[in-house]
Amino acid sequence: MSGVPTELACELMSASLAAWRLAGEARCVDDGAIVVERTGKHETIRIEPKADDPMFRWLITIDGRRRPVVSLPGVLRHLRAALDPDYAATRVRVSVASLPVP
Amino acid sequence: MVSEPAIPVSVLTGFLGSGKTTLLSCLLRQPELARAAVIINEFGEIGLDHELVATSDDTVVALTTGCLCCKVRSDLTETLHDLLRRRDAGALPQPFDHIVIETSGLADPAPILHALMTDADLAGRLTLGSVVTTVDAVAGEGTLEREAVSRKQVAVADRIVLSKLDLAHGDAAALLRRVAALNPGAPTLRAVRGEIDAAALFADPRRRPEIDAWLGEAHAHGHEHHDGEIKAFAVVRTAPIRAVALTLFLEALAEHCGADLLRLKGIVNIAESPEKPAVIHGVQHVFHAPAWLERWPSADRTSRIIFITRRIPRRWVELLLDAVGAEVACVAAAG
Repeated sequence: MSGVPTELACELMSASLAAWRLAGEARCVDDGAIVVERTGKHETIRIEPKADDPMFRWLITIDGRRRPVVSLPGVLRHLRAALDPDYAATRVRVSVASLPVP
Repeated sequence: MVSEPAIPVSVLTGFLGSGKTTLLSCLLRQPELARAAVIINEFGEIGLDHELVATSDDTVVALTTGCLCCKVRSDLTETLHDLLRRRDAGALPQPFDHIVIETSGLADPAPILHALMTDADLAGRLTLGSVVTTVDAVAGEGTLEREAVSRKQVAVADRIVLSKLDLAHGDAAALLRRVAALNPGAPTLRAVRGEIDAAALFADPRRRPEIDAWLGEAHAHGHEHHDGEIKAFAVVRTAPIRAVALTLFLEALAEHCGADLLRLKGIVNIAESPEKPAVIHGVQHVFHAPAWLERWPSADRTSRIIFITRRIPRRWVELLLDAVGAEVACVAAAG
């Protein structure tokens, strides 16, 4: 397994849809995968934890295309890009000035 | 050569008519700000506020080319560079040791904070000081109700100054509740005709008493403050958090929340550094590199991260942190 309990990952996917203000649902299925569906859309997105791959820990299938993904944040990125046409990722910036050490 | 300590840059913000200029005038008469340079941003072609701030030298600069948050990259950073050049050249009556930026009442403070945090040429010489937001005790409730930018000004504050109390009827209790809902971790100070102690206002918000103050809110971690779309909440974890998990968590937050992550502050028990906690601080998608405290400020070694967000569910934040932590723990165990 990927290390993340499937129920936790599934709950995260479900909460992510809400956070992104997308109507849909995420559910665990019998083979250990997570299936995400957006309300009103026919296609489903399938997210599988890859137990035996130390590098690509997830496999995500979108429109029949299978993509190995390194990490859970990567899964979220693919998921949102597939579901949210308005999504434009904001890249984190780290301040060049350090916080003064108290 | 001994490098000079970074000069703090404090931001004084607040909606139109909320008493920023009155407050600033009073502050500049106090010894704590006797060596402060002031940048005043006024909206409109003819500036007036800088005429109302009583100072005697060249260290007050008026920016009247537009709202600071809209032209921050050029106008503000150029002005700061110019001030530093003049300071270095000895062209000022006395070298300043603090800069105060008074924003226009319509300014979103976030881009201003970003500019201060990310300009590589300024970073070595300047450091972000306090963000102080004035709220008018007479009209503040209505302003907060109507004006989204005023809510954001309160949400990003390190300290809030309630102004015009001498004109207000009653004790402003409802307004204080509203302000506390927007930003429960920021102390609210009271000014009568602008009079307030500058030392209390501009102390470094990341120093220990301040950390204690805003973490005090985190102890009530079951509590969530709401104000319309803006929520303030604390995420508390007893188990140490791996450094990589924290990094991935912050990256994902920034990636998916961006502008809706108004302010984040926290003290984190990093698994790799159990004796020296990390202090984290972010405004929207821009984060400071963590500061490492020499020791824990109290016996409480829980990680406490305070969020002030717009339309970001607390549950999602908690699940993200836990799931990323679980994945990183698994990778570490496998390695």
